[in-house]
Amino acid sequence: MTVIFTAFIFTSNLRAQDGEKLFKQNCAVCHTSHTDQMLTGPGLKGIFDRAPKGDWLKKWILNNEKLIKSGDAYANKIYTQYGKAAMSVFEGQLSDQDVDAIIAFMKAPLPVPAPDVVTTTTGGGATAEVKQGIDPLYLILGGIVILAILLGALRSVRTSLQNSVNRTEGKEENPEITFWQEAKNWMSGNRRLVGVFCIIIAFVGMKGCWDACYKIGVYYDWKTQKGYHPEQPIKFSHKLHAGDNEIACQYCHSSVEKSRHAGIPTVNICMNCHKGISSGPQYKEKEIAKIYEAAGFDARKGIYVDGKQNPISWIKVYTLPDHVYFNHSQHVVVGKIECATCHGDVKSMTTVEQKNPLTMKWCIDCHRQTEVAMEGNAYYDRLHKALKEKYAGQYDVKFTVEKIGGLECAKCHY
Amino acid sequence: MSMSKKYWRGLPELHNSTEFQAQSKNEFAEPLPIDEFLNSNEAETSGTSRRDFLKVMGFSTAAVALAACETPVTRSIPYVVKPEEVTPGVANFYATTFYDGHDYAAILVKTREGRPIKIEGNDFEGISFNHGNARVQASVLGLYDGARLRAPKVKGQDATWKTADETVTKALAAGGNVRILTSTIISPSTKAVIADFTAKYPNTKVVTYDAISYNALTKANQNVFGKAVVSSYDFSQAKVIVGIACDFLGNWIAGEEFSKQYAKNRKVSKTNPEMSQHFHFESNMSLTGANADYRYMVKPSELGKVTAALYNAVASATGNTSVSVNTKIENEEAEKAIKKVAQKLLAQKGQSLVVSGLNDESVQTLINGINKMLDNYGKTVDVENHLNFKQSDDKAFADLVSEMAAGQVSVLLTYNTNPVYTAPASLKFAEAYKKVKTKVSFAQVLDETAALADVVVPDHHYLESWNDANPKRGLYTLQQPTINPIFAQPRNEGTRQFQDSLLKWADVKSDYLTYLQNQWNTKVLPLQTTTTDFPTFWAQSLHDGAVVVNETAAASTAPASIDYNIAASKATSIKGGGLELFVYEKVGLGNGNYSNNPWLQELPDPISKVTWDNYITMSPIDVKKLGLREMLRQDIDGSIVDLTVNGITIQVPVYPQPGQAPGSVGLALGYGRTAETLKVANGVGVNAFQFLGLINDTIQPIATNVSIAGTKQKHRFAATQIQHTIMGREEFLLREVSLKEFKENDKTYWNPPVELTVHGGGKKHVDEIDLWAAHPRPGHKWGMSIDMNLCFGCGACVVACTAENNVAVVGKEEVSKTRDMHWLRIDRYYSSDVTKEYQETTSGLLDTRQMYLDMENPSANPQVTFQPMMCQHCNHAPCENVCPVMATSHSSEGLNMMTYNRCIGTRYCANNCPFKVRRFNWFNYNGNEKFADINPAQQELGRMVLNPDVVVRSRGVIEKCSMCVQRIQAGKLDAKKSGQPLKDGAIKTACQSACPTDAIIFGDLNDSESVITKERNDDRSYFLLEDIGVKPTISYKVKVRNQDEQIIFHNKSAHKTEAHEEKHS
Repeated sequence: MTVIFTAFIFTSNLRAQDGEKLFKQNCAVCHTSHTDQMLTGPGLKGIFDRAPKGDWLKKWILNNEKLIKSGDAYANKIYTQYGKAAMSVFEGQLSDQDVDAIIAFMKAPLPVPAPDVVTTTTGGGATAEVKQGIDPLYLILGGIVILAILLGALRSVRTSLQNSVNRTEGKEENPEITFWQEAKNWMSGNRRLVGVFCIIIAFVGMKGCWDACYKIGVYYDWKTQKGYHPEQPIKFSHKLHAGDNEIACQYCHSSVEKSRHAGIPTVNICMNCHKGISSGPQYKEKEIAKIYEAAGFDARKGIYVDGKQNPISWIKVYTLPDHVYFNHSQHVVVGKIECATCHGDVKSMTTVEQKNPLTMKWCIDCHRQTEVAMEGNAYYDRLHKALKEKYAGQYDVKFTVEKIGGLECAKCHY
Repeated sequence: MSMSKKYWRGLPELHNSTEFQAQSKNEFAEPLPIDEFLNSNEAETSGTSRRDFLKVMGFSTAAVALAACETPVTRSIPYVVKPEEVTPGVANFYATTFYDGHDYAAILVKTREGRPIKIEGNDFEGISFNHGNARVQASVLGLYDGARLRAPKVKGQDATWKTADETVTKALAAGGNVRILTSTIISPSTKAVIADFTAKYPNTKVVTYDAISYNALTKANQNVFGKAVVSSYDFSQAKVIVGIACDFLGNWIAGEEFSKQYAKNRKVSKTNPEMSQHFHFESNMSLTGANADYRYMVKPSELGKVTAALYNAVASATGNTSVSVNTKIENEEAEKAIKKVAQKLLAQKGQSLVVSGLNDESVQTLINGINKMLDNYGKTVDVENHLNFKQSDDKAFADLVSEMAAGQVSVLLTYNTNPVYTAPASLKFAEAYKKVKTKVSFAQVLDETAALADVVVPDHHYLESWNDANPKRGLYTLQQPTINPIFAQPRNEGTRQFQDSLLKWADVKSDYLTYLQNQWNTKVLPLQTTTTDFPTFWAQSLHDGAVVVNETAAASTAPASIDYNIAASKATSIKGGGLELFVYEKVGLGNGNYSNNPWLQELPDPISKVTWDNYITMSPIDVKKLGLREMLRQDIDGSIVDLTVNGITIQVPVYPQPGQAPGSVGLALGYGRTAETLKVANGVGVNAFQFLGLINDTIQPIATNVSIAGTKQKHRFAATQIQHTIMGREEFLLREVSLKEFKENDKTYWNPPVELTVHGGGKKHVDEIDLWAAHPRPGHKWGMSIDMNLCFGCGACVVACTAENNVAVVGKEEVSKTRDMHWLRIDRYYSSDVTKEYQETTSGLLDTRQMYLDMENPSANPQVTFQPMMCQHCNHAPCENVCPVMATSHSSEGLNMMTYNRCIGTRYCANNCPFKVRRFNWFNYNGNEKFADINPAQQELGRMVLNPDVVVRSRGVIEKCSMCVQRIQAGKLDAKKSGQPLKDGAIKTACQSACPTDAIIFGDLNDSESVITKERNDDRSYFLLEDIGVKPTISYKVKVRNQDEQIIFHNKSAHKTEAHEEKHS
């Protein structure tokens, strides 16, 4: 068992930390802070060497238009140099302190990003454990082997003791019989017990087979005790996007309310944000560069190159067989089911894991329990009335999906 | 109730031989290979022992179990940049236009993730021609045809566009005569492009040639009205319709549009008991003839005489001069009928219509004369609001061929036409073609003409093209791409639109889209008044697919007087032969443009029910006379004969066809393709185009110099339906009434309730005798109604169903073993009259055999009833309670559900189904090599046509009509999401939306306001086989024939029911 200790690096410079946040919110869409990579605006590495000293930078950030109009030489120079592209005016949005914080952030060396397993909520110095589990199956098997060895040893000890007792008492030595013969002798002496035992084993075996049949085609990783969680071509983390950054599921899976497919986001949806964010907390540029490659985006020049687009070949985690028709919009819009009901807490998953077996039993169990959201949907009015009449006088009747025919074959198979 | 008719599905049943009877009692129509299997000594000689068998069994079981435990890695690849309008999983519809030189339709194309998968009608207000026929429905599969060219060809080798362009422009620049041979172009912008091309190369001449010519119509209108156009017709205004060899409900000009109009006058109800009356004179049994109230058999050479006789009958009654020609014809009954028909026409002056499908100028001139005398112009037939189809000029074509033969043509461009295959043999087109210096073809596939061409510059498919169309005066429609060109750079050299090629060669620096927009800006925009802003106009037109505008009529110079005598003497001049040939179009293949389309090949001919074949249709009387095989059972082969027409002999099978005029034979066009790359069509049937003749300067489908010699060879037909029998249950299957009886009596007379005798005496309605309690249907209760008066058997619904539900194509061999997979079939029943006296003298079914023999004579010209047949979704379904694994069950909305993954293939359900609508997957049609060429699902391209909402079935399971449950679910979901009650008509099944006549109505029976509820409560509504108590969900409506004769006799009713029960006890 290994235990990894990690430490969160805590910077004492609070101003720079605020500045980082402010920079990300306001500037990062167009500028990088510590590289010379060109986004919409120039990379800001070395800005303090090239820009006029004093509070020029502060003035520029707050109101660059005013500075240009005032005839400032350097301001006009860079304005023309970058194609007279206008930068936003932050006067009124950012206070002097905010700008100071941003400048402090830019001046400070880039903070070393924390390694993967970090719990920010505990502040600094938190520790995290990663278990490398041993499969209980191996433990049991090991136990059985040890027991068998013990049994054999004890048996030989017992035989030799018995023999020595016999010898001292002058009796005949017990005949040498094998372990198997002895076991057979014991079994023939305890037939009833063996019979019961056999029946139990047979039943357990059958139940095991039966249960296993239900899981045919259901992926489960015994090693990690996890559902299907393939490594994706890009190490995309739902935890970072949906969890930490709180991006809504529908932002990327945009067709979930319109179509049978929730939709895997197209590369241009990634680029909405990643045009500006070229570096991630863990893999830096490495993984995001794959998005750029797919989009045919030249990050240095900040332009898309035609004909260089390469679609990303994601691995499907939730795969239904072809003979099942499932419609996301039915469940999300009409049924008002939360994404997490079927997909688990994706917000905490670094690599997405299949949380539910997607078996027909699983579907049907849910259809048996889930009530249909009939109130307020005029489509159901007639049906609702008919059901109320049908079950009049019975209390505690739930109009579940089953009651409106949700278990019928042709609702999912056609 | 009993009827004065006997119904039969095919000649085997009519003859009712002992073999047929024995065979019809079998569970399955085809012989099961049990004996063959048990008796074979293969087992003894093979090296596989029982041990090996068990080993393999054990291994495969283990392998399957192991494979099932692992989740396979499934990849999912999203767009890089998603097109704004595409949402994966949601279909988009685009309005566009279908036109291939032969058929026209304003359509909506359903696309999924950018792939067109289904054709629907465009319901834009004021638009006509918005229902596609079977070919239009199937055209979406043509987009994914593996035979399509992926690059230009120069001298038979794949070439780049640069090389192809250089070769063509060099040839064009060399001077010499340039000719463009094309089928009728109805696109004004394309015509403008050709004008630009002609301006650049002034030696250019355009020759319009349609494979199936309507030249006589334009010529006759030129003769009578001074306008070389095709008139428009309005069958909905006609109370009396006379057709002379005119298949206007099938293929003539615009069959689906005419069906829609015709149906308006066939919707009979107790409140509106009037309908049109339709008389038909023809040689072959056509779809239209099959739907006529009275049909008369006339030999092809005498059809002109019928026209002249009708002219005289009308002329003498209206005070016009008669023509003096001999109008004596062989069939006396038909001759007598002409007088009666004329009287009916005269009684409805201005509300009648006479049409002829003969491509004979003189006949059409007489027809114009008749309609003129009947005052029909401007009412049922309109030469002012003319159609722009069918502008073929046969004489110009013949002249071109002689010009080519003389070596006077240096460049020939062929567009949308395949003359090497379609030209009459007498013109010797192929020989003349070889003498052209540079032959350029725009064909999409390497067809017979393209194979001989020097340069092939493949055109886009219509679903990839920009274009416009002006099908009728005042109607403009747009064609827009619904998919990017499939064959394009960088993977293929690609295809290019015909118009773009011409523009390039003409040095016009514009792509066709810009050109088209300019044309619409300058030509179409000024014709309408809604808007003056072009971008708005363009966007709106593209969205609607059509604009209706005011267009000035073309000027005309009508001749002062016309001498109909000349026309009449010409029309009656064709000399009859002992045997005459009339070649015809099938509703499936048409002119053969789409013969490489397996959906169409497998669509049964509505009359003969034969698939994957053409054949001689011959009157059973002639078959017997010539000593040919009569096909008394479906597994008995037909004869192959040597057919000699004008000195050309081919071998072709003979199919006994009731209704074929004795002394004549029919042969369908569109078969006998020889192009090697057309894997589906190649080798199917024979080419009938060669027998067309150039008579009186028009290409006519008639040949009189015909002889037939029997051979010893046999031919196995792949026909559907004829293996079934009605088992004497006609009154529970087919209910018909004459209009006279319908008017004079109430429902109990012609649609009596089904009552059964109960124990202890008395009778009860079948609904009161029930084993089961009714099942509650609290939400929806789906229902369907099919009006047998409005179903003309065109087959568009069958193809639509195939496309919607991924129905597998099985091929000729499997169909011949009765293993066709169609979920929806259109049953065709023949019926022939039995006299009233006969009814009274016989004692019901006991003398069936003798009675059928007596009917031999009337059976020569039987009446036809079409009955679309699909799963009846019985509420007490017999299939459900015999399934050992509950693979078929009933929903709370009244659907009979089929769960493929539960099915283990016992076929008990198919056996227990009284309607025989369940289909078994004998093979894995989507994976088995045997079906690789014909099954689109097996090709990388063809697979794209599959509907992603419907499962592709595998081997060993039963399938059947699901009532388009995917559409029902989608419609319900839309309503649920919007929080509104489901609107009536929001859900349409595929067959319903394909039907031009609204014969199929679908809806919710729990909705008291719905159309289906009204249909169900109609007096004409009845259920099939109601007596067996399965309570179908689909109801049918009694067919009403506009006849004066009595059809129903009541006195024998009790007797018959008893006999019927006895037989089954």
